Amino acid sequence: MARLPLLRLLSLAVRQLLRDARAGELRVLFFALLVAVAASTAIGYFGARLNGAMLLRATEFLGADLVLDGSSPAREEQIKVGTDLQLQHARVVEFASVIATDNGIQLSSIKAADAAYPLRGELKSAPQPYAEEQPGGGPSPGEAWAEARLLTALNLKVGDEIDIGSKPVRITRVLTYEPDRAGNLYSLTPRVLINLDDLAATGIVQPGSRVTYRELWRGEAPALEAYRQVIKPGLEANQRLLDGRDGNQQIGGALGKAERYLNMASLVAVLLSGVAVALSATRFANRRFDASALLRCLGLSRRETLWLFTLQLTVLGLLASLAGAVLGWLAQLGLFALLHDLLPADVPPGGLIPAIAGMGTGLVALAGFALPPLAALGRVPPLRVLRRDMLPIPASTWTVYGAALLALGLIMWRMSLDLVLTFALLGGGVIAALMLGGILLLGLQSLRRLLARASLPWRLGLGQLLRHPLAAAGQALAFGLILLSMALIALLRGELLDTWQNQLPKDAPNYFALNILPADKDAFGAHLMTLQAQAAPLYPVIPGRLISINGEPVQDIVSKDSSGDKATQRDLSLTWAANLPADNELTAGTWWTQQPAGDVPGVSVEAKVAESLKLKLGDHLMFTVAGVNREAQVTSLRSINWDNFQPNFFMIFQPGTLQDLPATYLTSFYLAPGHDKEVIELSRSFPAVTILPIDALLEQLRSILAQVTIAVEYVLLFVLAAGMAVLFSGLQSTLDERIRQGALLRALGAERQLLVKARRIEFGLLGATSGLLAALGAELVSLVLYRFAFDLPWHPHPWLLLLPVLGAVMVGGAGVFGTRRALNASPLTVLREG
Amino acid sequence: MGESILTAQNLSKVVPSAEGELTILHPLSLELNKGDSLAIVGASGSGKSTLLGLLAGLDLPSQGEVILAGRALSTLDEDQRARVRAEHVGFVFQSFQLLDSLNALENVMLPLELDGRKDAREHARHLLERVGLGQRLSHSPRQLSGGEQQRVAIARAFAANPDVLFADEPTGNLDSHTGERITDLLFELNKESGTTLVLVTHDERLAHRCRRLIRLEAGHLVGPLEP
Repeated sequence: MARLPLLRLLSLAVRQLLRDARAGELRVLFFALLVAVAASTAIGYFGARLNGAMLLRATEFLGADLVLDGSSPAREEQIKVGTDLQLQHARVVEFASVIATDNGIQLSSIKAADAAYPLRGELKSAPQPYAEEQPGGGPSPGEAWAEARLLTALNLKVGDEIDIGSKPVRITRVLTYEPDRAGNLYSLTPRVLINLDDLAATGIVQPGSRVTYRELWRGEAPALEAYRQVIKPGLEANQRLLDGRDGNQQIGGALGKAERYLNMASLVAVLLSGVAVALSATRFANRRFDASALLRCLGLSRRETLWLFTLQLTVLGLLASLAGAVLGWLAQLGLFALLHDLLPADVPPGGLIPAIAGMGTGLVALAGFALPPLAALGRVPPLRVLRRDMLPIPASTWTVYGAALLALGLIMWRMSLDLVLTFALLGGGVIAALMLGGILLLGLQSLRRLLARASLPWRLGLGQLLRHPLAAAGQALAFGLILLSMALIALLRGELLDTWQNQLPKDAPNYFALNILPADKDAFGAHLMTLQAQAAPLYPVIPGRLISINGEPVQDIVSKDSSGDKATQRDLSLTWAANLPADNELTAGTWWTQQPAGDVPGVSVEAKVAESLKLKLGDHLMFTVAGVNREAQVTSLRSINWDNFQPNFFMIFQPGTLQDLPATYLTSFYLAPGHDKEVIELSRSFPAVTILPIDALLEQLRSILAQVTIAVEYVLLFVLAAGMAVLFSGLQSTLDERIRQGALLRALGAERQLLVKARRIEFGLLGATSGLLAALGAELVSLVLYRFAFDLPWHPHPWLLLLPVLGAVMVGGAGVFGTRRALNASPLTVLREG
Repeated sequence: MGESILTAQNLSKVVPSAEGELTILHPLSLELNKGDSLAIVGASGSGKSTLLGLLAGLDLPSQGEVILAGRALSTLDEDQRARVRAEHVGFVFQSFQLLDSLNALENVMLPLELDGRKDAREHARHLLERVGLGQRLSHSPRQLSGGEQQRVAIARAFAANPDVLFADEPTGNLDSHTGERITDLLFELNKESGTTLVLVTHDERLAHRCRRLIRLEAGHLVGPLEP
């Protein structure tokens, strides 16, 4: 039992803290924590809010925040849950129907939507085919908005009347863009949009007919999450929930990488702060050895002394964290204000979580890095009041570094939620630090031999480092870690941006051409050649549906909410090809080389679909194609680069297996902007062909990537600023002794120039060594990161060799600047303070 | 006369060194009554400070026993010894040992605050006025001269009303004039409060103001001298 109640210790601690603060004792530690928490809070907020904004953009691809999609109407209570949660609601019903006129018949994809649709994004339409499009609105009852290709196919014009089932509607506008069409580029039939009020009158939607019902929801994230939680357990077999991430594969990929990068950046900010906190907490402890001994003389027990300092640090930590969180919040506000032209107006606020996480991070770092040096205070022998040379028995090295590693590990795991990555980084870091530290120690010791013959400034500067080689190695490692973190973030930024840029090459296809009849195939290809369009090959397309796997019906096998589900719920675009398409990569099996096929033809399946359908090589698949059943055997699995905007297929058959069935052809091509006339002409020459411009989609994707890029650049700036601040505060903690030594030398008659030179040598060497360590470390860590976290190809980065120079300049400059007091203040003043 | 407050029985201290064990204090015994004053004199390295540390319970003897205020120190653990110090002991050091981050008043308040005294501020102010620093309450140690710092330390030492005051070279860092005034102050306060005083010094004039005096040479007691 402590003699003093905790409350009295706390009040003592607070008073002591205020006095220390007034005396300027706590500036370094407070500043380190402040920077750490502010940086990780700002990055946290920025990441969370930007992610929200990007998701918001992504939701446009869905027309809503969340969609309940099913082949039967949603039950009453499923709707009520949403309206009770005050979510905005819209309803869409989709089905296929043949539209017949005197000029022919055309299978069309009808969408009946209520007035609220869409909840995210806008419809776009034009008064005439190929006229300028306008956003907003929707068809009123009795009206239809049809795609231009329907008009072409049936020789209709705006103002004509068509029958949807038994309901006559008048075409009033040409539909040019549906926000939720983007995720489904491969729908082969032209779209007709009608008002939901007309649906019943069509008489088409009967029990048993193939219809998709979509309930669209929009609202605040918590309400949406609540809706998801309530709805999920009661979903029918034919129902699933979709959110922004499901809307589009390309967006999902970009978001995922951006999120990981932002997390990495906050991690680095925390790492930097950890170093700063460790350095300044050690200084805090060292400067309190006398106070600790005195308090013990005054009768405080070891436990009480320890408590007193722990409470001081805790209060300090809480205050600094709170201030840091506020500062971080303000910083991100400023950031968003700066970017307001580029970001959507309604960026969702980040909530409290980033602030709490930032503060938690600061406190965990404080605990992990500051408690070990603090523990030494409890072991200061009281006899120190008589004999200044008595130091506390040092804590076991294992305790000290164990606590720091544990804290780091916890933080890393929380941020990445990836145990393998955490262990890989931590383990690799420890091994690298031990190895580099060992080499450094050996290097320093071998330098000692050269020292005797060196000139005075070198003896002074180098001597300072060599006198405590272990401390010098520790400092070099710490500064090395700071430089490493900054280098790593810079490295990753460049790499990520390059990858993204490459994902969307300037000449990514901006048009898809569908429904090319076999008879038109060659002529169409030739026409594209004359336009000098860069076109993908023409792929045959046959709609078909997977019905069984090894004789078992697919519905029994497929799990809900998986992409396998998507692959079986609707017609697939089947194709055949002799050669593996570009940007496809075999992950298992072999591509067919010989013709003709054996008894059962081969099929190559996209790897993710295969995974969710649990397909293995050799499985027998049964498809129903144009009313005929066709069997195929899985001979290979492929991964597809979905980012390339080329025609991609889940199932590719061996040539010669589907040729007897009716097929159309499909391709994509790039035509430089400003060729609208040529596109219209192309479309008129081949009236049956559907030409889909995907500029809007590409534009959207580009703008999202532009946002991510800006975020990445700013985050980099934050990390660099935090790194610089930490570097200075870290250096500060090593200066006491050097200031004293400088004063002593001046008292002995040394000139300022000599001292400046000695400092430059000392800190320059320290910085250069740190830079070298950082360069080696950054290569090692980047290798691990690229492999495991970012899925990027790794290659050496020669420019990292600039780090030693950078380190020498930065640490050297900061060191000379930091010790200027030893040069300017009266030596007597400095010496009397000691 | 009076009752015993501090007793040392066969006290010795042995430390390990490069050449084997080194005896820095050979067995000695002494006894002090309440209100007594004792000077321990000797050259540098004679074992004066070691003896002081042992008597005050800051360190443990290799052999022998110290009984302070009726408690045998070797039977107590470090925290229990800390409590004995809190209740019975005050210190004055050669290097003053004031906390830099606290001003004069706060330094004197510290032991009172540790004791939870409500009137800490009042009492500390009174004590500082008593040692002649009433105008320097809010000065930090760095702004005070050596003599002033030692006066703050003396005020702090008497603040908790100790039974025994240990002083380690209290005038060692001061010029002779200031040293004399500090000595006067120390003995005045000692007399006023009836404290037992144990001081280590090589200042013979200071030593001779104590009622009793012992001299150490290379860890040996070379004779108690009555004044």
